[in-house]
Amino acid sequence: MSVKAFELVPAVERDLLMGDKARINIECIECCGKHLYVGTNDCFIHHFLMDEVTSSKGKLSYSAQKLLHKYLGLKKAVAELRAASALERLIVLCDGIVFLVDMVTLETVPSAAGGGAKIRGVTAFCINENPVNGDPFCVEIGVLSSKRRTVQIYMVYEDRVQLVKELTTPEQPCAVSVDGYFLCLALTTQYMILNYNTGASQDLFPYNSEERTPIVKRIGREEFLLAAPGGLGMFANAEGVSQRAPVNWSENVIGATVCFPYVVALDESFITIHSMLDQQLKQTLSFRDGHILQDFEGKVILASTKAVYVLVPLPLERQIQDLLASHRVEEALTLTEGAQRNIPKDKFQILHKRILQQAGFIQFGQLQFQDAKEHFRKGQLDVRELISLYPLLLPASSSFTRCHPPLHEFADLNHLAQGDQDKVLRCKKFLISYLGEARSTEVANGCREDVDTALLKLYAELDHESLLDLLASENACVLQDSVPWLEKYHKYFALGLLYHYNGQDSAALQLWIQVVDGSLQDSTRSDLYEYIVDFLCSCSSPDLVWKYAGWVLQKDPTKGIHIFTKRPVSKDHPELRPEDVIACLEKHSQALLLYLEHLVLEKKIEKEKLHTQLAVLYLERVVSLLSKSPPDEELLTRARDRLQALLRESNLYRAQYLLGKMEKYEQLLLERATLHGKLEEHDKALHILVHKLRDFSSAEAFCLWASSSRDSEYKQHLFHLLLGVYLDRNPSGKSQATVKSGSVDLEMAAVDLLNRHGEVFDAVRVLRMLPDDWSMQLLRPFLGRALRASMHASRTSRITLGLAHSENLQLLHDRLKERKKPIFVSAKKGCHLCHNTFSEPDVVCLPGGVPVHSHCVAQRVRDSPTKRQLTNSSNHT
Amino acid sequence: MPEVSKMKKPDVKVVLLGDMNVGKTSLLHRYTERKFRDTISTVGGAFFLKQWGPYNISIWDTAGREQFHGLGSMYCRGAAAVILTYDVTNWQSLAELEERFLSLTDTANHDCIYAVVGNKADLIDPKAQMFQDSGGEPEDRTELEKDRTEPQVLSSCPTPPASPASPSGMILHKPVTHEDAVALYGRILRYKGLEEKSSLPAEKMCFETSAKTGYNVDTLFETLFDLVLPSILRKRNENQASPTVDLEECRGKRARTSCC
Ligand SMILES: Nc1nc2c(ncn2[C@@H]2O[C@H](COP(=O)(O)OP(=O)(O)OP(=O)(O)O)[C@@H](O)[C@H]2O)c(=O)[nH]1
Ligand SMILES: [Mg+2]
Repeated sequence: MSVKAFELVPAVERDLLMGDKARINIECIECCGKHLYVGTNDCFIHHFLMDEVTSSKGKLSYSAQKLLHKYLGLKKAVAELRAASALERLIVLCDGIVFLVDMVTLETVPSAAGGGAKIRGVTAFCINENPVNGDPFCVEIGVLSSKRRTVQIYMVYEDRVQLVKELTTPEQPCAVSVDGYFLCLALTTQYMILNYNTGASQDLFPYNSEERTPIVKRIGREEFLLAAPGGLGMFANAEGVSQRAPVNWSENVIGATVCFPYVVALDESFITIHSMLDQQLKQTLSFRDGHILQDFEGKVILASTKAVYVLVPLPLERQIQDLLASHRVEEALTLTEGAQRNIPKDKFQILHKRILQQAGFIQFGQLQFQDAKEHFRKGQLDVRELISLYPLLLPASSSFTRCHPPLHEFADLNHLAQGDQDKVLRCKKFLISYLGEARSTEVANGCREDVDTALLKLYAELDHESLLDLLASENACVLQDSVPWLEKYHKYFALGLLYHYNGQDSAALQLWIQVVDGSLQDSTRSDLYEYIVDFLCSCSSPDLVWKYAGWVLQKDPTKGIHIFTKRPVSKDHPELRPEDVIACLEKHSQALLLYLEHLVLEKKIEKEKLHTQLAVLYLERVVSLLSKSPPDEELLTRARDRLQALLRESNLYRAQYLLGKMEKYEQLLLERATLHGKLEEHDKALHILVHKLRDFSSAEAFCLWASSSRDSEYKQHLFHLLLGVYLDRNPSGKSQATVKSGSVDLEMAAVDLLNRHGEVFDAVRVLRMLPDDWSMQLLRPFLGRALRASMHASRTSRITLGLAHSENLQLLHDRLKERKKPIFVSAKKGCHLCHNTFSEPDVVCLPGGVPVHSHCVAQRVRDSPTKRQLTNSSNHT
Repeated sequence: MPEVSKMKKPDVKVVLLGDMNVGKTSLLHRYTERKFRDTISTVGGAFFLKQWGPYNISIWDTAGREQFHGLGSMYCRGAAAVILTYDVTNWQSLAELEERFLSLTDTANHDCIYAVVGNKADLIDPKAQMFQDSGGEPEDRTELEKDRTEPQVLSSCPTPPASPASPSGMILHKPVTHEDAVALYGRILRYKGLEEKSSLPAEKMCFETSAKTGYNVDTLFETLFDLVLPSILRKRNENQASPTVDLEECRGKRARTSCC
């Protein structure tokens, strides 16, 4: 699992430093911008100027130029060098003494008057890079002295040093690092944190410093990197808490530092590079005689005993691309996200999106669609990048070009799948679901046409049920591009929908008609014909309806007529004029009939023409059925029932005209009787019913029907008429013989009629009409009823009379009680009704005791018969 | 040197402690990845950040090996919950909790909660063996089936003892009963100077789990997360009560500002 995160670049080669003097070794280094200082074991400091050179190929190298070297005169190795650039001083540790050297001349700075510029008995020191005191002209250092168990804080000025704090430690300290008030110390058996301000201490963990060199490296604010038992690199903060998981080094690490997001460590023969993000070892560089590893303002510099190198980090993007190239998606993303704070925000977002998209495509290539989708989504992938992988899916009109540099290595889907059809299919299914979701989000903004067209093509190709949903709802499918595709997959119904969506209803209809007629194959809808009917029904263009009505009606008049009868009434559906429809239906008699029925029976349109036409059509149907031999009785009955019903119920048709048409059909007597009835020729009707049809129940029903909306007198008249017909012993045009044989039936019919409808008849008249020889027994029910009825009537009226009388008396009584006082009538007072004066004492009193002339009241009563109660008055004088 | 980026700051810390080989890494892995797979003995430690509602919980997996024992106190510092893990087939691993690991928790929060967890329950409890994790990988199941067809696995448990010998020199390799764990929990409370009555009951805090089948693993972690919530809230309130000054601001000026 290696990454190439760093490159080792030589900075100062052996020749430049010591030439051929074999015993000279590098002891310490310091780097400050371009200035490199090297301390050697022979007590020299060398000063180099280090220039970065980038070759035309982008390769970085360093050219070093020696500026100066200086012998410090102590015959001991230079143990530490630290620059205090603001003071232009180097802080040097040599032979247990810390002293200051001019950065430019390398001359030792003499002690200022009144204060020393030297610290003696020092074993190690460190600079506080994050001092609490903000004075820029002094440097705070932590010093370990050979004096037992103490640690000191000094302030270093241009020409003097000043002790500010001394603390004792529980054990001898052997390494130190400082941040703010916090000293991180390696003691003989453990690490600890010591707050030099408060003196508070915090044990970290045990470590045997005599066995292995401890490492105490400040890596950031209040955070340190420590060598831990078992070759671990442990992180600890000032509170003594580890916030990052440790990394696993070798046992003999000499130096370590952090170059985010990596931990770089050096042992005798290798540089190891671990990621702080996942703790994994990412890179190993072999490095012989490794001696020093330090970072200077982010620049990691290493030294062997003889030469100096710079560990140059490769650009983050390149590292990420390397990871992606080896399909290590998670690591690439971790690295990207880990670098978030080290990159400007806008730049990071662009990088992050791109990496997410690339990651998504890698996973897509591995058919890990769920992860791919998530990364596409997070990376706000332009969906067309994905669509463009699928040959021919993007519409020809699309302006899309793939992003450059490419987000993936695939030419197209076929390249990706290498001929594996199952893979292709799975990718297509993924795209369907992906686009389906993308459609409803803003991801599709600006490329809806591309998305919808691609989706349409995929649906069509994979025979996906959502094709119709797509087309039936709001969509942006490009017509031109979709037509050949839908045709190719025989999705004619869908294509019709698309035409319709694009306002080309005529094209849609033509296509569908071809499917129904079988010249095109598409089994999407088995009820396509009905669909077309519905379509025309709700079609807002009358032209289209007229144009395709013929085809529709010919196919199936019963269903086809729906285009006229089921047409919704609303503003955007111009109504079709019935006359036009009827004209159009001229050749489709069955449809015409249905249409007329719709108008007359359902919509109840009251137009003579329509009613007559419908009646004529009914009649024609009956006639045509009659003309068959043998006629289909059932059909005939049904047809006649309809005709009869219409004749009975409608009052608008031209009865005379129909009668004329029916004259020659002897079978249609009932219908004729109805027509006569309509014409109020009841005698003719009854004659037909009674004498020709001998259908007494129909005759009776006729009377009821013909009088149904009339008053009882009319009804009585009809029933008497019928009775008359029954009893007529000499109907015209009949021979005596038939009369003889029929008369018994008729008499029986008459008896039945009387017995059934006795209450309708005027009994007295009936009795006069009846032949004398009829037995009472025969008419008993009638007579009984008639008797009871007349008795009842007489008694009822007597009761009414009595009640009225008593009411009258009651009122009179009340009134007298009310008005005991007399009513005055004088010749001076006027009558309230005629306003003339009274000339005689006979007056009538209105309620309320108002006297009026009796003739005025009589007059008034005559004028308004309802106010009869006014006459319930009596005369007063 | 650029400041090292800080990661999302966890609100609360949960630490897994226990002898090597008891299955700490496997438990954490089962919980986070819903898988059981081969592990190597943990070096140093590792942690996982779990989003629990609006909170970030860091779960530290420590190394059980003796070598790393010294790091334990540091891992436990400020912990809100410690999961003391043993191997139900290995009595010694329970004993080690008391002998070696309990003292490491001295640095944990004063209100830290303790769970005693016997892992590898699938080796002694058919219920745990038959358990099927919803997110389980198919290969787990085949392994499970293999185990089912070889019931002798239970008796010839392959788990090596954590520490070669008990103090008495005898290898303590007998299974651990639930009562043993409950008794240990009681002793933990005593060690912490806590009243049994006012502490979380042993029935609630002693778990038997199987990282292999997933048995009780979610329950364990989720129970603990719910229990540490008050601790999170308290910590947040404390932070609000004493707002800290960001010293970073005032430290902009360094002595080593520029070079020559
Ligand atoms: N049967 C069974 N085996 C398990 C279970 N959990 C872990 N193991 C096995 O036990 C061994 C050790 O598991 P780890 O998770 O590495 O143990 P650990 O506690 O992390 O060990 P260290 O990291 O050394 O402290 C591995 O071989 C696992 O396969 C379990 O629930 N059932
Ligand atoms: Mg482990």
